[in-house]
Amino acid sequence: MAPLEDELKEALRRREPSPDFTERVLARVAAAPVRRVSQPWVRWVAAMAATLLLAAGGLEYRNYRGERARDQVLLAVRIAGSKLNKAQKKVQMLTHRSIS
Amino acid sequence: MKAAGLLIASLLLAGAAAAQQVKWNFDKLAARASDTVDVSLDGSLLRFATKFLSDDDKDQAKVKKVVGGLKGIYVKSFEFKKPGEYSAADVESFRAPLHAPDWQRVVGTHSNEDGETVEVYIKNDTKGIGGLAIIAFEPKKLTLVNIVGAIDLDSLSELGGFSGIPEVEVDKKK
Repeated sequence: MAPLEDELKEALRRREPSPDFTERVLARVAAAPVRRVSQPWVRWVAAMAATLLLAAGGLEYRNYRGERARDQVLLAVRIAGSKLNKAQKKVQMLTHRSIS
Repeated sequence: MKAAGLLIASLLLAGAAAAQQVKWNFDKLAARASDTVDVSLDGSLLRFATKFLSDDDKDQAKVKKVVGGLKGIYVKSFEFKKPGEYSAADVESFRAPLHAPDWQRVVGTHSNEDGETVEVYIKNDTKGIGGLAIIAFEPKKLTLVNIVGAIDLDSLSELGGFSGIPEVEVDKKK
């Protein structure tokens, strides 16, 4: 058992990397070829998906703006109409009173 | 080149004038108000908004018809916590731009019940009514309306009490 333990200890012993280890790793990374997507359809699909997403987002924003503007129109008409209606009723009431 | 620049500038100025038929200064009141309603729709935004008004909804169809030919709608409404937050001079400053011969006061009413005064002014142009302005005030509320363009007053008045109004976005001060 003792020789086996000694062998294991030796095998698992902490070893410091050589001083140029980092440089070698970086050099290999730089030298490694960049993997590019070779199939053109993948790019087309990605471009179409991006376009669709943009279009959907734009449409959603347009609807949001439109509904907000519509609500503002309804609110403005109600406020203006109610004031006008009040004045009109008052005039009608006074006219009716003076006639009768 | 210079002439083109002048033409563009004058067109822009004409557009701005159409957008702001009445120049009211709200700054002082806005600072004192507890709640504010601010609607500002120029011609292009108004046309855009009308596309979202439903023809199937009776009230919205009426609104669509009324605002169809307008060039702008501007509404400012201020609510105050207590009476006396605005003065008679403030009201007078809102009346000041609405003078003859451009503007004509057609109705002025006052209700003793709720203390509300409503003044309606119209702007006449060659084709008839070219704009409408309303000043309405009661002890704790002041509303100013300017509608730019040919407006049918009876139709607008009819729409005063319709129900299909969504939640209002009000600037509330805490």
